[in-house]
Amino acid sequence: MSPAADAASPEYNALAGEYVLGLLEGQERDAAERRQDSEPAFAAAVESWRRHLAALDATATPITPSADLWPRIEAAIAGLAQSATAAVRSGQVATGPSRLAEWWNSLFVWRGAAFAGALATILLAVGLVGALDRAKRQPLMVAVLLTDSNAAAAVVHTFADGRVEMLPLQSIDVPAGKALEIWTLWDRAVGPRSVGLIDRARSTPLRLDNLPLGKDQLFEITLEPATGSPTGRPTGPIIAKGTTSQRL
Amino acid sequence: MATDATQPRQTGEIETALLACATGDKSALRRIYEAESPRMLGVAQRLLKRRALAEEAVQDAFVLVWRHAARFDPERGAGLTWIYAILRNRSLSILRDEKRTETSDTPIAEETASEEDDPETVMSKLSDATALRACLEMLPPQRRGLVLLAFVQGLTHGEIAGRLKLPLGTVKSWIRRSLLSLKECLG
Repeated sequence: MSPAADAASPEYNALAGEYVLGLLEGQERDAAERRQDSEPAFAAAVESWRRHLAALDATATPITPSADLWPRIEAAIAGLAQSATAAVRSGQVATGPSRLAEWWNSLFVWRGAAFAGALATILLAVGLVGALDRAKRQPLMVAVLLTDSNAAAAVVHTFADGRVEMLPLQSIDVPAGKALEIWTLWDRAVGPRSVGLIDRARSTPLRLDNLPLGKDQLFEITLEPATGSPTGRPTGPIIAKGTTSQRL
Repeated sequence: MATDATQPRQTGEIETALLACATGDKSALRRIYEAESPRMLGVAQRLLKRRALAEEAVQDAFVLVWRHAARFDPERGAGLTWIYAILRNRSLSILRDEKRTETSDTPIAEETASEEDDPETVMSKLSDATALRACLEMLPPQRRGLVLLAFVQGLTHGEIAGRLKLPLGTVKSWIRRSLLSLKECLG
């Protein structure tokens, strides 16, 4: 059933209705989202459905939110500037929400550049000495991240010294303006935490810093905006996921 | 053509608050929160069934409203419609992701919805004044139910087919035809 391109056709309008009902999934949904941005007639049809169906949202019984919901929202908003700097650190261009944030970000760019330079020098020195030794070091735990169709897309290695790295096993299609964000989940109550953001499938160290790391811990890759998830939680489709296992 | 259907409008208040959010005025976001968060949580709860997930969806929605407030264009639609579209999008992605990574024993899709959320109860709560109600009443009850299950509980075509023991193709074509009739009636 290919959606009619004729903006006046009833089918075109029904497609907008299915989109608003939440019935489109995967590629169909992505296509509808693109149309909403590029075709004013489709956007108007969507808006008209939303306006009419809003009456149904009005029938929901109101529930008083927990007392900590507003503080959590405030904290998340305060954290937005920080996640923007995290995006800069992993080589993305951040679009800060304000001039202040842009200035803050650019400071990080320069600090980051200076720091990265110093770090590279140290790593090179250590690397030369330790090259032979490192060749022998093996990961403690491995997670194989599988796609929906059970193809291995990447592996995550954890090492005794606390390093964690992700190695892609196949190329991943990343549309313009998007990036791959890597998440880990050790406790559903805490929720997933971002541990890396890359512009394309490439080997990357993951920043687990003080986060817990253990067996059966979930790692996943999602497709997010280039500056990372706007909410601090996965928002895009899951590209691949898998849990850690101990090496024998 | 039927009359315009919307919930009680606080004329311009939400739109004004959204424009203020775009300039970085956090108290404007707080005003939206005071006015709308209980009903937003109610909508998210109907979709997600679990309170913790519903609060997560509302939290994410407010962060997105704040972040994207500058993109809100009063010319293109009402502020509340924009906010609820963000909330519904977020809730549906959480819903689909939970179903995919589900580890708990009761899959979210099988969790029983409150009786308040079944299609005919929702119909009875729908304001008489709306064009939507008049137009939904013109559909056969079972077909109207499919549209309501999709919108109110966030069920997919497949889930509706499973729940009502109908073939998937039938569900898809009934919903499509219901939307065509609704569109005709709503104008």
